[in-house]
Amino acid sequence: MEMTPETMKILANGILLGASALGAGTAMIAGLGPGIGEGYCGGQAVAAIGRQPEASGAITRTMIIGDALAETTGLYALVIALLLLYANPLIGKLL
Amino acid sequence: MSTALMLASAAAETVKEAKELEVNGALKVVKLFEINGTEFWLTESVIIQWIVILILLAVILILTHNMKVVPETKRQAAAEMLVEFVRDTVHGTMGSKYNAYVPYIMTLLCYIMISNLMGLLGLRNPTADVSVTGTLAIITFFLVQYNRAKTGKFKGYFKSFIEPLPFMLPFNIIGEFANPLALALRLFGNMTAGMVIGGLIYFALGNFALVIPAVTSLYFDIFSAVMQAYIFIMLTMSYISSAECD
Repeated sequence: MEMTPETMKILANGILLGASALGAGTAMIAGLGPGIGEGYCGGQAVAAIGRQPEASGAITRTMIIGDALAETTGLYALVIALLLLYANPLIGKLL
Repeated sequence: MSTALMLASAAAETVKEAKELEVNGALKVVKLFEINGTEFWLTESVIIQWIVILILLAVILILTHNMKVVPETKRQAAAEMLVEFVRDTVHGTMGSKYNAYVPYIMTLLCYIMISNLMGLLGLRNPTADVSVTGTLAIITFFLVQYNRAKTGKFKGYFKSFIEPLPFMLPFNIIGEFANPLALALRLFGNMTAGMVIGGLIYFALGNFALVIPAVTSLYFDIFSAVMQAYIFIMLTMSYISSAECD
C-alpha cells in the first residue's frame, strides 16, 4: 500500500473532522457537574419545604435561581460542543 | 486504492451528507436590498423578532383597550394581574426603591417569553441566536454599571472594585464581565439545546414521530421557555440590586 499525497490529504482531513466530533462529545462530560449540583439543590429545597411548608414560595424561587447558576458550567461545555459541530474554527485548516 | 483511502473517503461523504441534513438549524440569512453595490443582509432572527414585536403590540393593544378605574372586563383584570406580578417580584427582589425598573423588567419578561415561545409556531427561536441574548445581557451590564455609579458616586464606584481586599481587583473585574457572559450563554444554550434536541428527535423518528416529540416539546418549548424568561429577569434584577454601593 502506497501513500500518495492525495491519500495523505484525505486521511488528514478525516482525522481532523473525526477528532472534532470526538472533542464535542468529550466536552459534554461536563454535563455531570450541573446534574449533581442541581440534584443537590433540589433535594435541599425539598428538605427545606418539608421543614417549613409556609416558606415554599421563597424557597422555590431561590432554588430556581440556584439551579440556573449551577447550570452555567454545563452550558459553557454545550457552547464548546456546538462550536465544534456547527461553527468549527478548525475547518479552515483543512488541507 | 487502499482500504484506508476508501474508508476515509466514505467518512468524508458521510460528513458531507450530515451537513446537508440541516438538523442543526443554522441561521438563515436574507438579502434585503442593494443600493449602489452595497448589500444589506438580515438574519432570520431579526425578522422573527419583528413578528414578536407585532404579536406583543397586538396583545398590549387588546389588553389595554378601553380601560376603566374599576376593572370590568377579564382583559383588564388579566393585564393588571400581570403588572402586579412583575411589580411584586421587583419589589421582593430589589426593594421598593427600585420601582423605576418595573417597566424594563416587564418588557424583558414579555419579550423573552414570546421569543422563546416562537418555537411553537414552527419558527426558529430568536433567543437561540447568541447575538440576541448577548444584546440583552449587554443592556444588563450597562444597567449594573449605571446603578453602581449612581449609588456610589465617583469614589464608591472605583472603591467597589477593591473590596473586600485590594488584591481582589482582577477577580472583581473578571466577574464584572463573566456575569453578563453567563447570562447570555444561559438563555442561548438552553434554547439552542431544546431546538437541537427537538430536531434530532424528529430526525431519528422519521415517519413515526407521533407522541414522543409532543412530550419533549412540552418540556423544551413551553416549560423551559417560560422558566428561562423568569430566570433571566430574576438574575438581571439580582445583578442590578447587588451592584448597589453603601
